[in-house]
Amino acid sequence: MPILVLGLWLPHGLSAQTNNQDEASESTVQTSYPSDTAEAWLVKMASAVKTLNFNISFIVLKPGVDSQPYLWRHAVNEDGIEMEQLNLLNGPGREMVRIGDKVSYFEPNVPPYTLQSTTINGPFPSELFYHPDKLQEGYEFVLVGRSRVSGRAAQQIRVISKDQTRFGFNLWLDQESGLLLKMNMINLEGQLLEQIQVTGLEVNQQPDPFFSRIALPMLPDVLVMQSTPEMAPRWQINYLPIGMYVAKQDTHRLPLTSELVDYLLVSDGLVDVSIYLQPQNNGKANQDLLGRHESNTILTRQLGDFSATVVGKVPPATADAIVKSIQFIQ
Amino acid sequence: MSQKLENLSALVDGEISQTDGHAINSINALQQDSEMLQKWHNYHLIRYGLRKELPTNLHIDIAANVALALAAEPTILAPKKGFRDLPVVAAVLPFIRQGGQLAIAASVAVAVIVGVQQVNNSPEIDKPFNSAAPILGVPGGLSPVSFEQSYAVPQNNEVEQRRKINAYLADHQQQMRLKTIKLADNPTSTPVQSLETSEIQSDVTDETP
Repeated sequence: MPILVLGLWLPHGLSAQTNNQDEASESTVQTSYPSDTAEAWLVKMASAVKTLNFNISFIVLKPGVDSQPYLWRHAVNEDGIEMEQLNLLNGPGREMVRIGDKVSYFEPNVPPYTLQSTTINGPFPSELFYHPDKLQEGYEFVLVGRSRVSGRAAQQIRVISKDQTRFGFNLWLDQESGLLLKMNMINLEGQLLEQIQVTGLEVNQQPDPFFSRIALPMLPDVLVMQSTPEMAPRWQINYLPIGMYVAKQDTHRLPLTSELVDYLLVSDGLVDVSIYLQPQNNGKANQDLLGRHESNTILTRQLGDFSATVVGKVPPATADAIVKSIQFIQ
Repeated sequence: MSQKLENLSALVDGEISQTDGHAINSINALQQDSEMLQKWHNYHLIRYGLRKELPTNLHIDIAANVALALAAEPTILAPKKGFRDLPVVAAVLPFIRQGGQLAIAASVAVAVIVGVQQVNNSPEIDKPFNSAAPILGVPGGLSPVSFEQSYAVPQNNEVEQRRKINAYLADHQQQMRLKTIKLADNPTSTPVQSLETSEIQSDVTDETP
């Protein structure tokens, strides 16, 4: 719906002027990490993503899909409110704007809407930027060394799942600002699955003028989610890779087919895995199926009268282990 | 009227410069005029269509109109079914409102599965994709993902299965987006700021160009 996207360009009284945040004043806080460790770099990145005024251009590369160029802007205004924009630059586009704890999504195929959230759901795993400390349970972070990425000096960090059940990552952080320059997702054999490559990075003292043009009253209304009534779960999973936790459990209808499914979302902060359980339709035998879409693994298995499906960016063996651990509660 | 339409068309085509006062006037006028807003919408749809950039599941009023027409239709062919049960409508109108969640669901583009592989009852899980590895090729070029199928499944079944897989993929995307709301509500999530050092902080401020 391009109408409101254009609405964002209207001039507005909100003037973004000086960014007065005095970072030195926060410097009394002590850290538990020595300065040259992977953890310290991640903390530096998390801080940079939240406090700097930056414009970043990056490209997402996935197998079998055209490259997706994005523009990512972030600023902190004079009131200390974070503003963020993520804009898909090819085609009709897709634009996400975050003002504080409200994220507005503008997409060509649906009316725009706003979600109450402090993170934009984009190509990056948001926990990496916001809570890197939470990832340490499931992943090991290894400082590899320096190299040159996007024409800048970069620190490379390897992210390895501790129990070898999830894909790994290679991160390159800007030596100067700590911002992400490149991220590779690799499978257990070290082959490249997905890549995010920054092509332009700009850190400014002032917020980008774009943010002062956002007409706040024009942003779409916050979507109020209906809370589904809690039901006693009929099943549980007995196996989860180290560091993964159940983020959500409910019963809802699928888009497209409108079929009712029992649903479980598990996450470790870097990857999300969906688990669906559905009664088999009237005795028609479905086959077990293993497929992939981009780097998502899709595994369907028949469990008695039910069919269980796992979707997520995990190796098939992990998906299979999760499915096999499903236990029905009598 | 024709002058207005011409202006609108020029605006959609980007022929009026954004900083131009004229453009801002046009946009302001546009917001007041629902008829022109609809035109604006349609012009963009036409543009996307011409450029073959239409999203896969377009949220378009035709679907609603078809649904209404079908609902009004005397139910002769399928007396026990509502319009929502008709397969055609289900496909055209994928996200009939079923509560807050599905209002968003429509925003997820329909994913098309590119590689489907049948697994036996005891799949060799370690080497599931025995074709070319799903890697990016030489820098700058992408290797295509091969289509895998070890044996042909009956046509109907295959279509049905694809539909299901697309539904799962679309739902997975949607749930990941909705998850961020949960995170926002989570009071235990403490900001990482408490871990920052003076050194790191000064790094960030000093070296910023």
